[in-house]
Amino acid sequence: MTTTTDTAVSTAQRLVLDRLYKTFESRNRESFAAVRGIDLDIEPGEMVALLGPSGCGKTTTLRMIAGLEAVTSGDIRIGETSVASLPAKRRNVGVGFESYALYPPLSVRENLAYGLKARRAKNVDQRVDSMAQRLGMTDLLDLRPAALSSGQKQRIALARALIRNPPVLLLDEPLSHLDASQRQHVRRELKVLQREFGYTTIVVTHDQLEALSLADRMAVMDAGVIRQFGSPDEIFDDPDNQFVADFVGEPKINLVGGTVRIDGDRTMVHIGRAGELVTASRIVQHDQQVTVGLRPQDCRTDVSPAAPCLEGEIKVYENLLEFGQATVNVPGVDDAMVVQTPAGHRWTRADPIRFTAAPERVYLFDTETGERLR
Amino acid sequence: MSTELLPGRRRFTLTSVLADLALLAWFTFALFPILWMVLLALKTSAEQTSTYFAFSPTLENFGTVLSARGTELTSVDFTSTLITSVVSCVGAVLVSLIIGVPAAYAAGRWKYRGSNDVMFTILSFRFAPELMVVVPLFVIYHQIGLFDTRVGLIWVLQLVTMPLVVWILRSYFQDLPEDLEQAALLDGYTRRRTFLTVALPLVRPGIAAAALLAFIFAWNNYVFALILTGNEANTVTVAITKFLGGGGQAYYNLTAAAAVIAALPPLILALTIQRYLVRGLSFGAVKA
Repeated sequence: MTTTTDTAVSTAQRLVLDRLYKTFESRNRESFAAVRGIDLDIEPGEMVALLGPSGCGKTTTLRMIAGLEAVTSGDIRIGETSVASLPAKRRNVGVGFESYALYPPLSVRENLAYGLKARRAKNVDQRVDSMAQRLGMTDLLDLRPAALSSGQKQRIALARALIRNPPVLLLDEPLSHLDASQRQHVRRELKVLQREFGYTTIVVTHDQLEALSLADRMAVMDAGVIRQFGSPDEIFDDPDNQFVADFVGEPKINLVGGTVRIDGDRTMVHIGRAGELVTASRIVQHDQQVTVGLRPQDCRTDVSPAAPCLEGEIKVYENLLEFGQATVNVPGVDDAMVVQTPAGHRWTRADPIRFTAAPERVYLFDTETGERLR
Repeated sequence: MSTELLPGRRRFTLTSVLADLALLAWFTFALFPILWMVLLALKTSAEQTSTYFAFSPTLENFGTVLSARGTELTSVDFTSTLITSVVSCVGAVLVSLIIGVPAAYAAGRWKYRGSNDVMFTILSFRFAPELMVVVPLFVIYHQIGLFDTRVGLIWVLQLVTMPLVVWILRSYFQDLPEDLEQAALLDGYTRRRTFLTVALPLVRPGIAAAALLAFIFAWNNYVFALILTGNEANTVTVAITKFLGGGGQAYYNLTAAAAVIAALPPLILALTIQRYLVRGLSFGAVKA
C-alpha cells in the first residue's frame, strides 16, 4: 500500500496540462473534439477557475485530470509525475462532484470513511473526526445524506474529497445546486478552506462571479480551447479577445462597430453617426473597420463640452441605488448601449446623454478574428 | 365554507359515485373467472356442473388433488408437478439474476459496438412466439437428453425470464447517478468492488421487482412445459389440464382446486414484495 494517503499533511503540487486533447469518437456521427490543445501551468497551492459556457470542454478537462476520461493526446503532470496514463485511483486526486455523489444508504461518517477504507488507511475514525471538526460538522456525522440541506451536502462532499489529503483538488460546479444566500456563504467557506489546506485546486464553473471571487487565476474556455488565462483583474480589465470581453462582465460589455481615425498621435474611433472616442490601441490603421468594446462600468458621463464622446438619448433608466443603469440609443448604432451612471442624477426617458471612457478602457477587436487590437 | 377539496376528505358527487359504480362493475367482471374458479374448487363432484351459488362447500378437492387418490383418478401426481414448477421457476429466476444483473449493469453503463443489437436480440426472446422456437427445441432437447428434465426447463425458461431481468434492471442502473461509482473509483475501489458495494445495493428494489415478474411469467408458462416435458418434469400449468380429460372423465372441481393451489405461490410472493411491483411494471416509462 502506498503511504502517501496516510501522512497527515500532503504538500500541494504543481499541476501542468501540456497540449491536452480529447476527441470523442462515434461510429455513426462525426468525431467530436471536446478539448483542443490545452496548456495550463498551475502553481502549488493555487486556485484556478475554468470558466466557460456549457459545452466548452471544461468538465471534460476536469474529468481527464481526475482520470475518469482517457486522454486523446497530451500530458498531465502532478508534481514531477506524468499521470495521464495512470488509472484514477492511483492519481490521488480529490474530486468534488457537482451532484455531491454522497452514498445514500450510508451515514455521513461512513461516507467519509468509505474512501479511506478503500486504501486500508489507518486511524480511519480519528481522521473522520478531525476532518469533521475542521469543517465544523461534527453534529452531522450520524445523519444520512437525505437529511441534509444542499449546503451541508456540499460541505460533506468537500470533506470527502479532502480527507484523503490529495495534492490536487478538483471541484465541478461546487455551488450550482445552492440557493443564492447559501452560495455566498459556501463560496467564502470554500476559499477559506482552500487557503488553509493549501491544495492546488481547479474549480469548474459557468458562473463568472464564482470564478472571480474564488480564483487566483482563471482560464476562460470556449469550444475546447483556453481563450485567456490570467488573474481576474487581467481578464476583466485587459481581455485578449472579443469572446472573453463578452463572456466576463455583468452587465455585458457593449460591442459596436467602429472606424479608426488616426489624428496625429491620438487614435480615435468613430462610432455611429457622430460619436467619437479616444482609444489607447496602437496597432490599427486609419479607416480600419473594428469592433469596439466598451464596458458599462467604464463609462463616464462628466464629459467636457469639446471632448470626444458618444451622444444619445435615454431609452430606459434603471435606478439600482448605488448606481444607475441607462440604456441609450446612439444615432447610427443598431443596438442600444448600456451605460452605468453615478447615483446622484436620475435620468428620464428621452433625456440627452453624453458619455465617454478612459482611452485604455476602449477596447478594439478585429472584426474577423475577434482578437484584441492593442 | 369554501368549495375547495380538503386533503384527506372525499366529496361525494354524482360523477364520483357513478365512476365508483362503473369501477365496481368492471372489477366484478374482471374478477369473475377467479371467483368462479374458487367456487368450483369448493364444490363436490355431484355439484360440479351446477351453476347456482348456494351449495355446501367442501375442502375435500384440495386433499384429493394433493394425495395419491388424485393420481389414481387422473394419473397426475400433482404434488410432484408442484415441486417441479417451484424448482424450475426459482432456478430459472436465479440463473437469470446471476447472469442478467451484470449484463444489465453493462448495458446500462456502456455503449459499445452492437450494444443496441444485443439488447434488441434479448428483447426479441420476449416477443417472438414461443411456438416458433419450440419445435426445433423439441428436436434438440431429445438429442442432448434434456427432454423432460428440470434442468431443461430451467434452461428454456431463460427465454422468458432473462429479457425481463435485463431490461428492467438496465433502466434501474441507468437511473443511478454515475458520479457515485466514479467517486468510489477515485477512492481506490476496483470496478468489481464498485459494482458490488455501490451499484448493486441501490438497485435492490429493482432486483426484487424483476425477480418477481420473471417468476410469475415463468410460472405461467405453458407451451415450453407442454412440448418439452413428458411425465417426469411436468409443471402445474400442464398438469391442471390433465384433470380435464385424463381417465375419460372431466374433473372440473379438481381442476379448479388444482388451479387455486397453483395460483398461490405467485400470489404469496407478490404480496410479500408488492411495494416494489409498480416501479417494475412501469419500466421503460422512465427511460426510453
